[in-house]
Amino acid sequence: MSQSQDIQFDGLYAHELTVSRSEQILLEDADLHLAPSTITYLYGENGAGKTSLMRCLAGLLQPEHGTVYWNNKPINHPESGFCSDLIFLAHSLSMKNELTIAENLAFYAQLRLKDRVTTTVLKTQISQVLIDLGIGGLERRMFAELSAGQQHKVALARLVLEPAKIWILDEPFVNLDHKTRGWLAAKTLEFKKQGGTVLFTSHHHIDELPVDQKVGVEHE
Amino acid sequence: MILTLLKRELKVARRNWIGLAIPLLFFIIVVSLFPFAVSPEAPVLQQLAPGVIWVAALLAMLLSLEQFYRSDYQDGSLEQLLLMSSPTSVAISKILAHWLLTGLPLVVLSPLLGVLMQINHGVEHSAHTWVLMLSLVLGTPTLCLLGAVGMSLTLAASRNGLLVSILIIPLYVPVLIFGASTVTASLENMRYNGELAILGAFLLIAIVFAPFASGRALKISVG
Repeated sequence: MSQSQDIQFDGLYAHELTVSRSEQILLEDADLHLAPSTITYLYGENGAGKTSLMRCLAGLLQPEHGTVYWNNKPINHPESGFCSDLIFLAHSLSMKNELTIAENLAFYAQLRLKDRVTTTVLKTQISQVLIDLGIGGLERRMFAELSAGQQHKVALARLVLEPAKIWILDEPFVNLDHKTRGWLAAKTLEFKKQGGTVLFTSHHHIDELPVDQKVGVEHE
Repeated sequence: MILTLLKRELKVARRNWIGLAIPLLFFIIVVSLFPFAVSPEAPVLQQLAPGVIWVAALLAMLLSLEQFYRSDYQDGSLEQLLLMSSPTSVAISKILAHWLLTGLPLVVLSPLLGVLMQINHGVEHSAHTWVLMLSLVLGTPTLCLLGAVGMSLTLAASRNGLLVSILIIPLYVPVLIFGASTVTASLENMRYNGELAILGAFLLIAIVFAPFASGRALKISVG
């Protein structure tokens, strides 16, 4: 651990990472560096361990061995600021069926911004992003009433509403119509331009999104 | 941050009130069946009252545990909460909301059930009712706190209801003993400060350790 701290890696850096799931080793002693202003495409077959690797990088899954650093500090270190810098979008959309779209989005934004944002500002921002996503005017609908594609769009709206420095996105392009794919690709490129780090998985090649780095996870 | 989490809990609960009403209905139904099944005689009921009300309250709390972290775990929001705030504050807000939505209504309903169980039989004033409420005010938060630890430990198990009961009931028993005996002591015109103090001590210990333990267990369950 002391060796790796001598070398400086900005962004997310995983050192000698060993990840396992159900006692099966998915990844052994892997080093991975996601620098600021880069987009990384993570590919691999179903069940190869893409999601496990992402959960591990996000700090949800404890690695068997190795450490993940965020700006040269371990991610679980309070000073790394990783939890306020990260947006992790998983397969599960993490929205409550009992709340409206606006309530769901406002909750996450307020949790991240620690109430530094006023409700009115947030409300306008939410209406705007919903319009951009083609589901304008649905703020007061219950999340459960939306179609699967619309629900997915709501989850993506978080990327615009919450300030972050790293996005880890598990299959963000799945279930999306052509227009929304374009929107997401544009937002991702914009985020990269502002110095953001992006890691995403996808089963198909995304034409709209040029990637800087490709990482593959394979079965043994 | 805890306030934001708490507001969301209460909002979700308000839209989902039927789930919350079930443990309360259970509490009322169990207690109100005793006068029919045992005897409507006031002295008999009065003697049974502390035990019956406390056991029913405990079972109602156990019944409500099922919805503690489950829906958040299933829709993935628990993951997001753990990523964005500390596990302990997630646990604190959950426990607080849970007590406000199940423990507090039980306390509020208890005088009604006290009347049903003739708890004030033979006395002019309603002192026994107050003791019953006080014992529940101190006891039910402890039940919530312990339940949170049990629930967060067994989240990953698919059918965890039974598992939680087995895990948690031994820890609930001391609370039950001292809760019921507080009321019994009051009925027998004895001092009940000691029992109340012990209930309070249980609560303080649980407040210190349970949110932390529950938060840690959540992290493990999600990982």
